[in-house]
Amino acid sequence: MLRTSYSQILNSSRDFSTAICDRQGRLVAQAHHVPIHVGALPWAVEAVCDFFQAKIRPGDVFLLNDPYSGGNHLPDLTALVPVFLERTLAFWSINRAHQSDIGGATHGAYNPGATEIWQEGLRITPLKLHDAGVVRDDLLHMIATNVRHPHDFLGDLRAMIGSARVGERRLHQLLAEYGLKTLEHAVDSILDAAEAEARACIRTWKDGVFEGESVLDDDGHGIEDIAVRATVTKKGDSLVVDLRRSDPQVKGFVNSSYPNMMSAVHMALAYLIEPGTPKNSGTFRPVKVLAKQGTVVWPFPPAPVTLATNHCAQEIAESVIRALERSCPDRVLAGWGRRFRIAIKGTNPRNGRQFIWHMFHARPGGGASVAGDGWNGVGEGQAAGGIKFGSVEVAETRFPLFFEHHEFRPDSAGQGRFRGGTGAVLRLRVETAEPAVANTAGDGARHGPYGILGGTDGLPHRYRLVAGNRERTLKTKEVGIEVSPGAVFLVESGGGGGYGVPEARDPEAIASDYENGYLTRPAATKRGARRT
Amino acid sequence: MTTFRIGVDIGGTFTDLAASDPHGKIYVAKTMSTPADPSEGLLEGLAVLAERLGMSRRDLLASTSQIIHGTTVATNALLERKGARVGILTTAGHRDVLEMREGLKDDRYNLRLAPPEPLVPRARIFGIEERMRSDGTAEIPLGRPSIDRALGRLKSQDVQSVAICYLHSYRNDAHERATALAARAAFGRDVYISTSSEVLPQIKEFERFWTTVVNAYVGPVVGSYLARLQARLRQAGFKGKVLILQSHGGVAPVNESIRNAVGSVLSGPAGGVAGGQHAGRILGAGDLITFDMGGTSTDIALLKGGAPQLTSEKRLGVARIAVPSLDIHTLGAGGGSIARVQGGILRVGPESAGAAPGPACYGRGGTSPTVTDANLVLGLLDPDTFLGGRMRLDSAAAHGTLAALGKHLGTDPISAAEGVHRVVNTNMAEGIRIVSVRRGIDPRRFTLVSFGGAAGLHITEVARTLEIGRVVVPDVAPVLSAWGMLGSDVRYELVRSHVGEAGLLPARRLRSLLHRLEAEGRKRLGNHPGQIQVRRSLDMRYGEQIFEVEVPLEGVDPEAADLVEKAVERFHKRHDELFAYSAPGQEVVVVNVRVAVVGVLPGTPVAGESVDAVARSPRRTRKIYLGSWAIVPVHDHRSLIPGKRIDGPAIIESDMTTVLLRKGDRAKVTPQRWLDIGVG
Repeated sequence: MLRTSYSQILNSSRDFSTAICDRQGRLVAQAHHVPIHVGALPWAVEAVCDFFQAKIRPGDVFLLNDPYSGGNHLPDLTALVPVFLERTLAFWSINRAHQSDIGGATHGAYNPGATEIWQEGLRITPLKLHDAGVVRDDLLHMIATNVRHPHDFLGDLRAMIGSARVGERRLHQLLAEYGLKTLEHAVDSILDAAEAEARACIRTWKDGVFEGESVLDDDGHGIEDIAVRATVTKKGDSLVVDLRRSDPQVKGFVNSSYPNMMSAVHMALAYLIEPGTPKNSGTFRPVKVLAKQGTVVWPFPPAPVTLATNHCAQEIAESVIRALERSCPDRVLAGWGRRFRIAIKGTNPRNGRQFIWHMFHARPGGGASVAGDGWNGVGEGQAAGGIKFGSVEVAETRFPLFFEHHEFRPDSAGQGRFRGGTGAVLRLRVETAEPAVANTAGDGARHGPYGILGGTDGLPHRYRLVAGNRERTLKTKEVGIEVSPGAVFLVESGGGGGYGVPEARDPEAIASDYENGYLTRPAATKRGARRT
Repeated sequence: MTTFRIGVDIGGTFTDLAASDPHGKIYVAKTMSTPADPSEGLLEGLAVLAERLGMSRRDLLASTSQIIHGTTVATNALLERKGARVGILTTAGHRDVLEMREGLKDDRYNLRLAPPEPLVPRARIFGIEERMRSDGTAEIPLGRPSIDRALGRLKSQDVQSVAICYLHSYRNDAHERATALAARAAFGRDVYISTSSEVLPQIKEFERFWTTVVNAYVGPVVGSYLARLQARLRQAGFKGKVLILQSHGGVAPVNESIRNAVGSVLSGPAGGVAGGQHAGRILGAGDLITFDMGGTSTDIALLKGGAPQLTSEKRLGVARIAVPSLDIHTLGAGGGSIARVQGGILRVGPESAGAAPGPACYGRGGTSPTVTDANLVLGLLDPDTFLGGRMRLDSAAAHGTLAALGKHLGTDPISAAEGVHRVVNTNMAEGIRIVSVRRGIDPRRFTLVSFGGAAGLHITEVARTLEIGRVVVPDVAPVLSAWGMLGSDVRYELVRSHVGEAGLLPARRLRSLLHRLEAEGRKRLGNHPGQIQVRRSLDMRYGEQIFEVEVPLEGVDPEAADLVEKAVERFHKRHDELFAYSAPGQEVVVVNVRVAVVGVLPGTPVAGESVDAVARSPRRTRKIYLGSWAIVPVHDHRSLIPGKRIDGPAIIESDMTTVLLRKGDRAKVTPQRWLDIGVG
């Protein structure tokens, strides 16, 4: 997949997952490039099986992306290959990959203006792309016609199906060597053992009924402070996560599809248990999730959902983690920064061509934990330090952009026994000859990453656009921002949350933060003053 | 007078030496390493070697023309954080390039992980008033007062080394050079100074800055070690040349190795690859995969047409090192790797019992089941003849640990042992896929070359899994790296970024860049007596991509009028090989121009090994488990005469390794008494 896909988002950013499910749709194994894909694929298998029932045959390839039928959001396309032993369905080999475009009103599917899912892109409900080994060219052509870069799309889709076929071939080898019965037995043992590991970890946590909440800034359509609320009942080695008290669904694209909501809960669990525990359907058996349709975590169609793999997925996970702060204080994490992206579209005066640039710089801080301070500038909680920003030198060479300043943001981290990671500051000058246009998508300009167990919150994002002597603060979900030549984006990203009470921080660590400029003098003095 | 060449590999435990005389006869010695001052162990080893040759050390050194030395001084300084106290001068407003790590964090699902300690604390990183643009013009001129202030601070911080890293310095190095002069004037000769435009004049600040800072960090340590070594060798009577093994597999003289100290940081496994390359030359096999399986890890490298592949994408600890280095994949699996059951799945490694306590069967207190224990339980190893009988293995202990593992898995010790053996083979096959299939290369037509004590029991099965038809087991394992160094050449890798569309790049501009780099390489090579080879390549990409593909220009005449068109054609072809597609017609960008200047050293002729008087050992047999118990013949490697054929299943034992031939494997003994195995 890495070697054969066309798009940068796949071969460089690795925004895809490969997985094997058994015939019951249970997740057996998954390549974990993308935390928010964890545990989501069984719903895709279920959707295909429900729709096609007995009409699944060797040589078939299925496709879907619709968040209301097994998908998580429209840009994530899923290809499913059923693996047969003679006439018996034995396994599913699956590839889910983020497409660089999936049609709809805006390029790249993130459309802050959308109030209905149709404005976000092409909806693909479960369909059979290969019928018993024969490609349905008509369908393929129809889909390719509805996306913006059909050539790349078709290349990526070939890579996806190719990789799922490699999985199929290896599974055939296993089936030939061991037979279905032995493999099914092995799958049972693998899932049971992962379940046992997860339960053994959960058992050490304190029993009780706990509540946690995480609040989104807004939906971009006037609804502010949207809360995701989790009531977590921890008893013995099981958890019940009740999200039913979350706020009602909203107009904009921060609603979560059902599979994405389940993944977000699984992601929280994956972050809390031992990192080495396999992530399969067994791991997630100890958790029962209760949710109500019509809330922001599970809306009625046709609510838009595209931002949900970032937000509110991160807030769902956060509400679960925050609920458990007193249950497993040695495992919970302070808040990580949220995504707040800018895309700039304009004409490059050096060659007269159109360009689109996506900002991945100025990453926010990571949250602190019992292991120590948060990581400075490693980005959003749902990506957990997995997204690379490109070279400043390369960006300046290719785009009419000038990076005046790109450093950590002092005093941005939440304080605590361990402090959060710092955010970053970017001063970016746009060197076009004609006005350019920018969009934003994200959250976290009102709510900073949360502190935990007495730690303080990190600073929220603050993004401004300065043109001449005019300055204005950018909102997290805006379209059509006019950027005049020479305008400067002044981006300050949030710092991670602190862990434990600030009074417990080692004075030497504060001195070192000051010496190294992570804290400025006033902030350091304040910290020191609080100590004495 | 006989003229010797000597290869010396200083490892963590042993110092290995291999000397060749003009007839190609090889003499070897092995002594304990002396980590406090490695040159001591080296001199001790030279004494042992001299004794083997029946001469004094002084006489040996007097008749030695070259000492080729592989050292891990730089590697250890970086890994153990024992390098110099470094200060960094960088473009104001961009102080955090190193610590930002491009936004990436290790170990994705481990969110309770403290961030790594920076190699250079932020308090010793100073922003200098200056700024180059991507086209090489100065947006902000160099501010002398800000340099003077920073140098004053660095002085009070007692730095031993200064790294100067400015944005776009690959395009215009004037600011870096002026800053280096100011630093030199302020500090004199006592401080080691590196500029990013000299260490790696290549676009992408994260890679260039890290590489420069690592150079600054290890430079003083490498400098003092090599100066001391050279002085001691001179004192001991050596008048020849000392050459240091580099991460790219070539060698460089002492002064170059100090100036470009980062060049040897990844040279640890380079000797093994050099050994593989040397073995390939002897066998006349060009396409090889070398497989060096030791106690804790396995190094895998791929040689295409006899040449090892280079990569600029290496990391060591927190550091990113972007100088061209051998593309070696290291797997955390070896003979000492520990087997355990995690999440219902049998896993082997990366934890290793190492040499101490070692596998349970070593009887040194190890209690975890290892690969070696499993192989012993399966009868593949003989407790009485392991390492030529120098170490007796404890079968009962091995059995005990495998029984415990089996209990976890709900099976008997034999099945558990077989499981461990299989898991290791699968991991190894996956490791080979990483250096081949993932790089767009089909491994099936390659020859697998097996080194290391633990490899022989696994190698043919690994080959079978990958449908590789030929396996060679050379018999040079004890001093493989030192032996391999005798076959390496003096090599300079030069690079310069030129970012621009190929369509707008005139052939004469590309030609002049190639000429300039070649001239620089030839200058560094100096007065080289032998043959000189020049290898040219370009790093290229399609317009919208962010990573480059290295496109060798072998066979393209740099003087040709259609030089650029030829290069573009090569790029499409190479892209197709690697990624299964190409896009002729799309915009192609040239990012880096690379030239390697290689001064070929006199190759070591290869004499057929002098066959010691061989006592025909009595024919033995052993009961081994290959899915079921079977009695198979056991051959003593030393008793095999060239030309002999052995069909599997069989076991071949030597002092250093045990080779398992499974059913369908057919071994032939070569003139060097190596095993050349056809895998069926």
